[in-house]
Amino acid sequence: MSLYSLRNLSIDIAGKPLVENVSLDVEPGKCTAIIGASGSGKSLTCLTPFGLTPGVTSGEIILDGVNLTRADRYQMRQARSQHTGFVFQQPMTALTPHLSVGSQLQEAARQAGASRLSRHELAQMLARVGLSRTDERLDQFPHRLSGGERQRVMIAAAIAHQPKLLVADEPTSALDASLRAEIMDLLDELRAERNLGLLLVSHDLASVARHADQLVVMEKGRVVETGPAASLIAKPREDYTKRLIAAIPRLEEAAPTLPAVGDMLLTTRDVCIVFPRPGWRRGNIRAVSDVSIEVREGEALAIVGGSGSGKSTLGRAIAGIGAMTSGEIRWRNEILPGRRKRTREKYGHIQPVFQDPIASLNPQWKVIDIIAEPLRNLRPEFSKAERARKAKAVLQEVDLSEDMLGRSPTSLSGGQAQRIAIARAIIAKPELLVLDEATSALDALVGAEILRLLSRLQRENRLSLIFITHDIASARRVCHRIAVLEEGRIVETGAMEDVIASPQQEITQKLIAAS
Amino acid sequence: MVTRHFPLVIILVIVGLALLLPLFLPWTYDQIDWNAVRAPAFSSSHILGTDELGRDRLARLASGTQITLMVAMAAALVSLLVGIAWGATAGWVGGRVDEAMMRFVDGLYALPFMFIVILLMVVFGRSILLVFIGIGLVEWLTMARVVRGQVMSLKERPFILAAEAAGTPPLMIVIRHILPNIAGVALAYLMLTVPQVVMVESFLSFLGLGVQEPLTSLGILVKEGADDMDMAPLGLLLPGGLLVVILVCLTIEGERLRDHFS
Repeated sequence: MSLYSLRNLSIDIAGKPLVENVSLDVEPGKCTAIIGASGSGKSLTCLTPFGLTPGVTSGEIILDGVNLTRADRYQMRQARSQHTGFVFQQPMTALTPHLSVGSQLQEAARQAGASRLSRHELAQMLARVGLSRTDERLDQFPHRLSGGERQRVMIAAAIAHQPKLLVADEPTSALDASLRAEIMDLLDELRAERNLGLLLVSHDLASVARHADQLVVMEKGRVVETGPAASLIAKPREDYTKRLIAAIPRLEEAAPTLPAVGDMLLTTRDVCIVFPRPGWRRGNIRAVSDVSIEVREGEALAIVGGSGSGKSTLGRAIAGIGAMTSGEIRWRNEILPGRRKRTREKYGHIQPVFQDPIASLNPQWKVIDIIAEPLRNLRPEFSKAERARKAKAVLQEVDLSEDMLGRSPTSLSGGQAQRIAIARAIIAKPELLVLDEATSALDALVGAEILRLLSRLQRENRLSLIFITHDIASARRVCHRIAVLEEGRIVETGAMEDVIASPQQEITQKLIAAS
Repeated sequence: MVTRHFPLVIILVIVGLALLLPLFLPWTYDQIDWNAVRAPAFSSSHILGTDELGRDRLARLASGTQITLMVAMAAALVSLLVGIAWGATAGWVGGRVDEAMMRFVDGLYALPFMFIVILLMVVFGRSILLVFIGIGLVEWLTMARVVRGQVMSLKERPFILAAEAAGTPPLMIVIRHILPNIAGVALAYLMLTVPQVVMVESFLSFLGLGVQEPLTSLGILVKEGADDMDMAPLGLLLPGGLLVVILVCLTIEGERLRDHFS
């Protein structure tokens, strides 16, 4: 018998049906993963049966032989505290900031009625989830831990009361790429060791595929396809699943043919970027140290690294929108001045595209004004009518229709907003785009479309790219060369295919394993 | 709409009455009716009666409300302009300039401002202009802090960086990108500043340091009413009640706006 089953579960919020007829099972010691884009109802499906969302359920919910469908608050709390543990996406917000790790664990362990645990037992729980210096950690507060450590503490707290079912809602999405595999491996181990059923929710098919036994693919509140993970990935039946699998950049796929490269466009020499430490503490933080890179005409360079490796800081300095402490940036062998000293004409060479597409558009402006803004400053010779004409033309280039022009950014989807951001970046005909995690915040299908758009622009407009990312597999779809950044230094650089074939550094190997 | 914004409707009705009533009343606010000193309400042509000098209460109430709200609006606007300019500069420039500008604000906060306003009045004499300036100078501090915070959080947003990369000059970034995005919050605080200013003005007038006779304000009316409250309680209750209604309504609307934008 299954540990946990949903039968024809439907969920309404304020009378709106958001999830319809979902059925799934979680077996003890196995992992069932719900996969879907944002807004597909996957988190609702996973949290609402436990009363953790305002949703109203209908259908059957059976946990460990007990029907929770018509459970009252008391029974619901019982089910949560006795049998279920939860791991959430944001480990910082999911841990109580004013409680030390030890008290956090103590509380979690005692929720099922256990007696007080000794310090030694708590330390062992931390050791089990792979944390070192456990005694010291027990007294630390969540903000002192790194993202990966926090997520380990969350997992330790989630299994502290020996639950039978672990519900993990995007447990690795907020983590660094290189850490994701480690956390997934930890979940696998725990599951095998304790015969724990795992219900996993993810938007990222690639990262869970290896770890899940059963897959449930959801789209728009409905289950598209469900089945054993291996066979579903090898032979997807439904069209949506096929597209989803095809959209995921994988290192096994054939290397793309990239356009030929021309003359040297951009070179940086010994770029250092140093920030003063925030707050009252003295001293500096070295975000970027002695970075020298070069980009040729039509060439795409991937700058890859974990979070905090300084890759975004470097990208901003190159685009002239971030500080640079020393070193020089040259454009066709002429010095390119830093932030606030760069002339308009020189800003016109390089344009940035950011990770969060909605936040990169002024919410008070109309799309047409957003797209035309660079023209206004960089090509003052154009009249208003000409700017509007160019804006229309560039919309076509990014595959959007003209009726977008009058819309406001808040009404756009993530993919549309990112196309608008790209349209704004290319309207004044720059030669280089700096893409800072431009596909990371998007769903797999949308991200793949943006990658296709970029590679078309690369071919047709001979646009050079600096593609900043943590995901080597998606970088490989457009990039000729790669530079791996760790703690602000370039630790490895070379042609994309060579580096993938024989990575020299540990960080590179980790990033490749995570892709 | 009407029920949700009931306080706003009341404010608009009060403002409308304060502006229009004097046009239709047979008496002006400073006209003395020698035949009807201390007339009770609903006697002859004085709907709310007259005060101890024989001036029509309704006319004085309308004129007092006008002056109070005018002082409040003007002072709130002064605080808005100074506060936005100061806060936006500090937040945008950042670093040492920001430190210095905000410590200056902290310093001003620490001064007992009511005392300084009273001193100003005593030294330079009483004039409505000075009341405007004095109150405006007190009230911009909070606005400056709010605006600075907003500017700082907007400054690192990608759309601001994109504007910089698009060659938009810094002043234009502030005017075209940042200010429109903080307008809502600033408006909300403006709504909350108005009742505060009404309070300060009434308090000053109550002390006899605000608006000068025969001009009147709600504060002066409350003071006159208080002096004479055992003989004619209406003289205190009417302006006092009106003041309370105005303050409550403005505060409710202001807080609603603030919650909406933050």
